[in-house]
Amino acid sequence: MIRKLLIVLFALIFLNSCDTGIEPGEPIVPGGFSGTVTFTGTWPTGVKRTHLVVFKNPILKTEDFFLPNLSFVVDSIPYRSKTFSYNSLVNSFVNILQLWPGEYKYVVVAQSNTPEISFQRKDWWVVGVYCLNNDQTKPASLIIRSGQVTQNININVDFNNPPPQPPM
Amino acid sequence: MKIARKLSGKLFFLLMIITTITSNGQTVSLKGKVISDKAQPVIGANIILSGTNLGDASDIKGNFEIKNIPVGVYNIEVSSIGYTKRILRNIKIDQTTKPITIVLKETTYETEQVIVSASKYEQKLEDITASTTIIPPDFINRRNFITFDEMLRYIPGVQVNLEQVSIRGSSGYSKGVGARVLVAINGIPLYAGDNGDVVWEIIPLSDIERVEVIKGPSSSLYGSSAIGGVINIITKSIVQSPVTYFKSYFGVYDKPVHKLWDWDKKYRTFYGAEITHSGSSDNLGYTFSLKKFDNMSYRQNDYYKRYLGHIKLSYNFTPDNYLLFFSNYLYSNRGNFLYWKDSRNALVPKDEDNGNYVLSNRSFNGLIYHHKFNEQFSGEIKSSYYRTNFDGYGLEVTSSTANFFRNEVLANYNPSDKFTITTGIEASYANVKSNIFKNPEFVGAGAYFQAEYKGIERLIATFGLRYDFIKIDTLSGKNAITPRIGLNYKLSDELILRGSIGTGFRAPTPAEVFTSTAVGGGVGIKENPNLTSETSVAFEFGMQYKFKSNINLDFALFQTEYNNFIEPNLTKEGDIQFVNLPKARIQGIETITEWQIIPDELKLTIGYNYLWARNLSKNISMKYRPRNSVYTQIKYSPGQFDFGIDFRHWSRIEEIDNQLVEPPLALVVDGDKRVPVYVTDVTIGYNFLIWNIPAKIYLNAKNIFNYNYVEFIGNIAPIRNYSLSTEIYF
Repeated sequence: MIRKLLIVLFALIFLNSCDTGIEPGEPIVPGGFSGTVTFTGTWPTGVKRTHLVVFKNPILKTEDFFLPNLSFVVDSIPYRSKTFSYNSLVNSFVNILQLWPGEYKYVVVAQSNTPEISFQRKDWWVVGVYCLNNDQTKPASLIIRSGQVTQNININVDFNNPPPQPPM
Repeated sequence: MKIARKLSGKLFFLLMIITTITSNGQTVSLKGKVISDKAQPVIGANIILSGTNLGDASDIKGNFEIKNIPVGVYNIEVSSIGYTKRILRNIKIDQTTKPITIVLKETTYETEQVIVSASKYEQKLEDITASTTIIPPDFINRRNFITFDEMLRYIPGVQVNLEQVSIRGSSGYSKGVGARVLVAINGIPLYAGDNGDVVWEIIPLSDIERVEVIKGPSSSLYGSSAIGGVINIITKSIVQSPVTYFKSYFGVYDKPVHKLWDWDKKYRTFYGAEITHSGSSDNLGYTFSLKKFDNMSYRQNDYYKRYLGHIKLSYNFTPDNYLLFFSNYLYSNRGNFLYWKDSRNALVPKDEDNGNYVLSNRSFNGLIYHHKFNEQFSGEIKSSYYRTNFDGYGLEVTSSTANFFRNEVLANYNPSDKFTITTGIEASYANVKSNIFKNPEFVGAGAYFQAEYKGIERLIATFGLRYDFIKIDTLSGKNAITPRIGLNYKLSDELILRGSIGTGFRAPTPAEVFTSTAVGGGVGIKENPNLTSETSVAFEFGMQYKFKSNINLDFALFQTEYNNFIEPNLTKEGDIQFVNLPKARIQGIETITEWQIIPDELKLTIGYNYLWARNLSKNISMKYRPRNSVYTQIKYSPGQFDFGIDFRHWSRIEEIDNQLVEPPLALVVDGDKRVPVYVTDVTIGYNFLIWNIPAKIYLNAKNIFNYNYVEFIGNIAPIRNYSLSTEIYF
């Protein structure tokens, strides 16, 4: 009985010894994206900031507007621009934010009246959404691949036809 | 034929006597000394020459003399209560025989173990109403544990994530801040005034008599911090004879399994030495100890260099009235490894953290006065002062100096054999000067009462109640009342049932409320003045079954429900902040089987824990709590040898700090890499005499299969390492 029990215990221990546990993973490097933002109509007055912003997940409730969901911010777009071409590897507004490979489900152009960057939902409104077939009610996903730049992420901003606003 | 058989039997018996006791008409004496494996005299040991009626008992100095021994060859049997019986075989005794020294090993198998932590007075282990574990000192020495927390990883029901201890899932990981397990030395809490953490390195391992682990909330007696349980370290009694203890060890880490991780072409080493002298003169007993321990570590910038000084003085006014003073001082210089660079550089820190280091000084001082007024009434005063100081050099210089003062007066009154009352009051004060915790002050006061009733046959009932008031700086003061009821019923001599229901509470520490600093990667820790105390309601049902006197089974079923559970969380702004979770619940079972297959020679221990720890507000698992854990220990000690195998397993952690791992922060690249834990350690030891001095030598191979796992994200646990340790008592 004792011998059998000890044999079973030793066998279990040695069986587990075949596995070495955590192994080095494949190298993962951040990627990027580029494109053009086109503006139509008259810019609203009082706008202090206009940024292209990438969210990991759509903002379905106010609580979704927080930093870990806010994945990337492109440099501020000059007031009254007609077009703005960007490349996230060059035009990163928050240097610590890097785009890791994966799917990002909500890419928008948003504006704010605050001179300093704000992380409060109430300070922002959306003026353009990355979408397919110009249907701003159906945001399209941005796919980032390791070490690659995803191109043609173009957004049309029509100040006369604003997209649906996420919950305040 | 029968007569011939009888005659041959008698002849054989006669021959045996003639060959074993070669009588030549002369008799001699055998003198000697019986000492413990810690060089202390063993009083009252029986020394018998096998097959004769010759023998003696050792005196107060361990000396013995057996007279009128016919010259011959004998087996000498030496036995004493509390020690393993020893037989010295084929010892030739004649005129040339010199005095002998016999070393007895203290037994770890005791039928009636005593515990003081459960009720703040001595009780039999079998009378306790909570789950408890007693750890003997040889548990530490034979495995060459260098710091106390290493040892805790081997106790069923106790989990250590890096340096943070948790009993039955009470804590996850928060860099040691806000402990939920009260760690005490001789009943005096050992937590810092600023972040409430336990610095394990300040505990003098060589002065430990035993460690008592109380599993489950103990706030009704110990207040805040004991919400998850108590670990009480009992230091050694004063020795009768002066003894000097010297220990040294040297170890080396093996190369990592993956060549990609081999960041240093050299072997990384660790070593240390300790010298302790104890003695007594009249009523004064003393212990002085100095220890140096260095570790290059298997990881880059994870080194430490430490010095520990320990003084203990004891003065006995009478055998029952004594004053005990102890003081520990720790100096530490260590690298500050926060997270790996990534899984391909798992033993290397992030570039921005490389070179960070922490210098610290800590001094823990305790004073205990025990007075026994009469057989029914005794009292104790406990005072302590704990000064902690650290300066962290990294992204910014962080520093903190905390002074923590504590006083407690307790009394034990037992008017009859059936009734015992424990009551006490305590007060504590801390002040902190820090550039990350602000400069808060902390005031705490508590009063407790516990009654134990044994008036009903086979039943022991306890009722405890404690009131606490805690005020942190300018925040409003908090009150807490924590009652507890416990029952112990001996259904038979073999089967003991126990059960308890009680409440617990824990006040946030100044660090949890006021910490404001950067941790790297653009992430900071943010203060939260709105943090409130957490409370808990816990129940436990347990049973202990002794089978055939050598098998002990212990089973426990437990549940703890927490309100306002304090955990670090990520804010909307991407900062870490301690917040109150509305509700959390931990349920589980624990079984421990101890089987003395050969008493004091071969022992098997198997422990299993199942933990169902849920964050009820999000309906997910609580972070860093393994659902299943298994502990197996095999100890084989034939004669002077010691062999041991320890195996422990945790199932894969379900929930971690995902927000630190996932984009966009990705503070810990590949931080989601985690696996079930399988760790096997092997110990080989030999006890021997060198110039009549007891000595021990141990070879330890830890994590012998070089299994790679993490206890916390981005932190590979120690890889395979070998160490050789030697101990002598002279």
